[in-house]
Amino acid sequence: MAVTADEYPLRLLRRVLPDWLTREGALIDQDIREGKFQRSLAVIAAISSVFSGWEVTSEHYRGSYSQRIMYSPLVLSGALAVAGLGGAVNRKLARTVMPLVSLVTMLDGVIGFFFHIRGIKRKPGGWRIPIFNIVMGPPLFAPLLFALSGYLGVIASLLRREDAPTNPLPAMLTRDRHPGWLDFLPAPLAKSGRAFEHQAREGMLQRHLAAATAISAFLSCAEALYSHYRNNFRYWYEWTPIALGPLLMAGGFGAVASRRVARTLLPIASLLAMLDGAAGSFFHVRGVLRRPGGLTMPVYNWVYGPPIFAPLLFAASGFLGLLASLLRRSQS
Amino acid sequence: MNTPLLGPFGLAHTAEHSLGPIQQVNLAAMRRYGNTDEVDFAIVGVGAAGGVLAQRLSRAGFRVVAFDAGPFWDVERDWVSDEAGSHKLYWNEPRITGGPDPIALGSNNSGHGVGGGTVHWAAFVPRFHPSDFREYSDDGVGVDWPISYEEIKPYYALLEKEMPVAGPLNFPWGDPHGYPYGPHPSGGVADILVRGCTKLGIRAVAGGPVAITSGSHADRPHCIYRGFCIQGCKVGAKQSTLYSHVPDAIHHGAEIRANCMVARIDVGKDPDNGGPIVTGVTYFDGDGHERQQRAKVVIVSGYAIETPRLLLNSACPGFEQGLANSSDTVGRYLMVQAGNVILGRFAEPVRMYKAPPANGLTEEFYETDRKRDFARGFAIQTVGPLPISFAKQMMVAKGAWGWGLRQVMMDYNHWAAFGLLGELLPWADNRVTLAEEKDRHGLPVAKVTYSLKDNDKKLIDFGAKKTMEVMWAAGAEEVVQEPRYAHLIGGARMGNDPRTSVVDSFGRSHDVPNLFCCDGSILPTQGSANPGLTIQAIAARTADYLISEREGVMRRRPRPGVVGAVPLRRDLSPAGTSGRGVPRNKG
Amino acid sequence: MNKLRNPFGPTCTNLAPLYQSGDRPTAAENMDRLPVEPTTGHPLAPREQPGYYPGYRTLAQQAYWDEATRTVVLDRVNHVPPLRFFSEAEVRVMQAVVDRILPQDDRIPTKRIPILNTIDKRLAEDIQDGYRFEGMPKDQEVFRLGIQGIEAIAQKLYQRSFAALTVLEQDRVLETLHDGNPPAGEEYWKQMSVIHFWQLLVQDCIEGYYAHPYAWDEIGFGGPAYPRGYMRLERGDPEPWEQGEQRYAWAPPPGALSGRFAPLGVEAGGKTPTPGQEGTH
Repeated sequence: MAVTADEYPLRLLRRVLPDWLTREGALIDQDIREGKFQRSLAVIAAISSVFSGWEVTSEHYRGSYSQRIMYSPLVLSGALAVAGLGGAVNRKLARTVMPLVSLVTMLDGVIGFFFHIRGIKRKPGGWRIPIFNIVMGPPLFAPLLFALSGYLGVIASLLRREDAPTNPLPAMLTRDRHPGWLDFLPAPLAKSGRAFEHQAREGMLQRHLAAATAISAFLSCAEALYSHYRNNFRYWYEWTPIALGPLLMAGGFGAVASRRVARTLLPIASLLAMLDGAAGSFFHVRGVLRRPGGLTMPVYNWVYGPPIFAPLLFAASGFLGLLASLLRRSQS
Repeated sequence: MNTPLLGPFGLAHTAEHSLGPIQQVNLAAMRRYGNTDEVDFAIVGVGAAGGVLAQRLSRAGFRVVAFDAGPFWDVERDWVSDEAGSHKLYWNEPRITGGPDPIALGSNNSGHGVGGGTVHWAAFVPRFHPSDFREYSDDGVGVDWPISYEEIKPYYALLEKEMPVAGPLNFPWGDPHGYPYGPHPSGGVADILVRGCTKLGIRAVAGGPVAITSGSHADRPHCIYRGFCIQGCKVGAKQSTLYSHVPDAIHHGAEIRANCMVARIDVGKDPDNGGPIVTGVTYFDGDGHERQQRAKVVIVSGYAIETPRLLLNSACPGFEQGLANSSDTVGRYLMVQAGNVILGRFAEPVRMYKAPPANGLTEEFYETDRKRDFARGFAIQTVGPLPISFAKQMMVAKGAWGWGLRQVMMDYNHWAAFGLLGELLPWADNRVTLAEEKDRHGLPVAKVTYSLKDNDKKLIDFGAKKTMEVMWAAGAEEVVQEPRYAHLIGGARMGNDPRTSVVDSFGRSHDVPNLFCCDGSILPTQGSANPGLTIQAIAARTADYLISEREGVMRRRPRPGVVGAVPLRRDLSPAGTSGRGVPRNKG
Repeated sequence: MNKLRNPFGPTCTNLAPLYQSGDRPTAAENMDRLPVEPTTGHPLAPREQPGYYPGYRTLAQQAYWDEATRTVVLDRVNHVPPLRFFSEAEVRVMQAVVDRILPQDDRIPTKRIPILNTIDKRLAEDIQDGYRFEGMPKDQEVFRLGIQGIEAIAQKLYQRSFAALTVLEQDRVLETLHDGNPPAGEEYWKQMSVIHFWQLLVQDCIEGYYAHPYAWDEIGFGGPAYPRGYMRLERGDPEPWEQGEQRYAWAPPPGALSGRFAPLGVEAGGKTPTPGQEGTH
């Protein structure tokens, strides 16, 4: 069988890596391609919810929780962490509680986005000095990034579990499919929702997730841009997420249009983003420790040092992109 | 881009009377009392204490008229983001200062206009320590207060919520506690303070405690770190009673009479027992006409110079040496704090004009240390002088003038400044008296006489050296100092003994049952803490006392020193106070 | 731009130069007025904007200032108040005094900041700081006495009017005030404190100079900051519209007594200088 250009990188990897790793990798790949990765994605949603919850806790502390609703993402991130883990261990929870909490989280993020827009407007000068007030006001896109972990939970709730049978019968006929929240929507929405779910369960989510990757890359790259701009790009590597963000966006949006991009640019950009995010977190931790007072003022320096998990949220877009590159495309 | 979107900034809004970019007040709808109406309370001075008193009493349903010699500021129109253009915020009517170690008054020392000193303060708001209230018993210096820390503590927590106060999660000195709003980011000077203190193994806090919003608060935005605190906060982030309490007072029926200089307190006879009572005040209105306002109770809140001056100027038969001055204590025991500014030059830029000047402090040296040769102690705080202030400091600190001044000023961005804040003790001969000279209303002006005593000098010397040590430890290449004082306290102090004090612990004068003084002049000692929070807390406590006494305020006197004698009213905070902030340890 | 400036101008030309340029460097008039490059000793030509922030202009940000502030600052720049308080003779002395206390010889004439006019305005309108030290007359009187005192010292030391002295001689006269040890004019100085007079004088000059946007540009100060505040608070980082520092070496004119940093009032007899005025706490 001729090796297509698309498959070349994978073949290379198989030659280079040890056998047991490639066997595992192949199994995981198979699962993903078949949409059977609910449990893993639920755990990942839980972890990302912990990271973004941690970030929002310190950011809202900088805003002194001056409105009670600022506590909502704090509460929801905890709830989603628990719901995600619950969904990982229990298939019923994965189709009821987890998607419910995830949807509420996404809604909270969207509401937060509008609150932040309003907050910027209410600063002196408002939107007439947009760059200054985006940098110094409530971080504009952070709530949407927060909504991302909810998004992961929603997608996870639509998938099949790792221990589902290999050759699935049509979804309606398997006992694997329990009634879920989609059934409660009005008919037209439920119909397209179920069609989407069917694709998800088949692993045919590539284009959808690629788009989500691009959007998430935009959001976290924008956050990095105005934070690093405020820091005057003191270290040259503060530019790397600014450079990689558009690259990953190109990979994501490109993958929606082209299968080829989905198997080349997208995974490469995603890997780079993940590495960059990991490095970023390391640098941020170092930045916190280097602040005046260091560990003698742990809370203050955590709050006002560089946010240690924010780069990991950039890495999470990379992770999404990698996931997308391993999925199958939907028919249309 | 050379301009904001939509062109250069004009006024934030066209509201009639603005108190910030969003907040406004409708003065046309303010209730107005007639001069012949006998209102319940006439408050002289709408500053830190007067603003809180007017708000609390009017919210409790009393009829209140509050006077201020200065204007009712329209923040957007009247205040400018400019050092030289801000002199009108300070008390500029004449005063004389003398004595062996005279105090420089004016300019950031006393305020003028609604909001008073809270318009131009730097807004550091640490609490006094429990030891401050009993330093005579503990250390044999100063005098004991007639109340303990425990009695004022609930009011500290209350005002910290109302202002609100931003500060670190844990403030470790005195009675450790937290704050309802989170700390502020650090500017260059706070970083230097923390670095220096860390190097010497001294604890320090950054980002507070300051009465500056670190998060929006109703119509008051989050601080924008512009560094013009001393020139009046146009943002409304740094608390002034002008926009934290006065609007709520007006909403509940108080009348604020601005541009009205109270000349005299009117004294009469109690029809029941023939004793002296006050019947109201005589004042000059904005056009210079002399008027009177009748009131059941008069509260004087003019701060440490004007309150004694008014009492002395209100001398009358039966009170020849000044109203309520049978003890000859009015005007005495005036205090300032040591406020030396220590300046350090650094190789890297600092740009200390950014971020609030009040940005970090350490109270590690606050308490008496028996190993030292003086009693009590000091705090070290950040300050952030703007160019004109800084140049004047260099004139003294380095003897700079001419080319030397030009040269050191070109290095302005390399300098950082700390303020020593040291507790100087109350002495009877440090006092406010009346001078021969008269002001434009024909009233004798205040004369302030001040001298430092032995304990004061040793404290200043040690404190300045220690502060310089911190500056060196932070890596300064050059460190100089400018001797200076800060704040004002005393002049009508509280006490249980009518022979050595003017008022009791609620501010009621010993001599006249319906005359109160409630402001910085009634504090008997000052600790090494900025007095603003304590003044506002005491005002709230006095208000609660007056509210609990209701009609009997002229008759009954509670037993002093009884904790819980006054129920704290939690329902009288200004609108927009609750529903905000972080959980905290109130101490 | 400054149509209503003091007619005598800061480069007071009724000084008879004692030496022609080209003579021994320490004697040339230019050498006494201009700052120098420290290693070579060459005088530095006057420039449009001294200081380490060339090209930085706070006035370029005026659209970002609120209207009330913009009005006040532009008024300060564009409307120099006429001289009303000082007499002609007093102007001669005061201008020379101001030129030594806040020298601007390193600025080209069109970019010099009018200081005397702001002092004159304050005294003409009797605007005071709200307090007086005991034993000091009111500010208006203080200046009148002080000017006469300065003239008396100039006559005593050099037998000429202050305005006719060389720059170095003028520095020497003023230095006696700075040190609190004036050698003449006792009848004036006994009516007030020398050190307080000196401080008042220097503070007024400071206020006139460092309130002006040109001075803000010179020192790299951000200027008015409302409604746009600051985003870069630490490490002295400049805002996006501010400028980083570009230092150059310079030294005051050789022999300029005002280039030294001698403690204030050192000759006045061991008394610490009075605690300062402007507030920071």
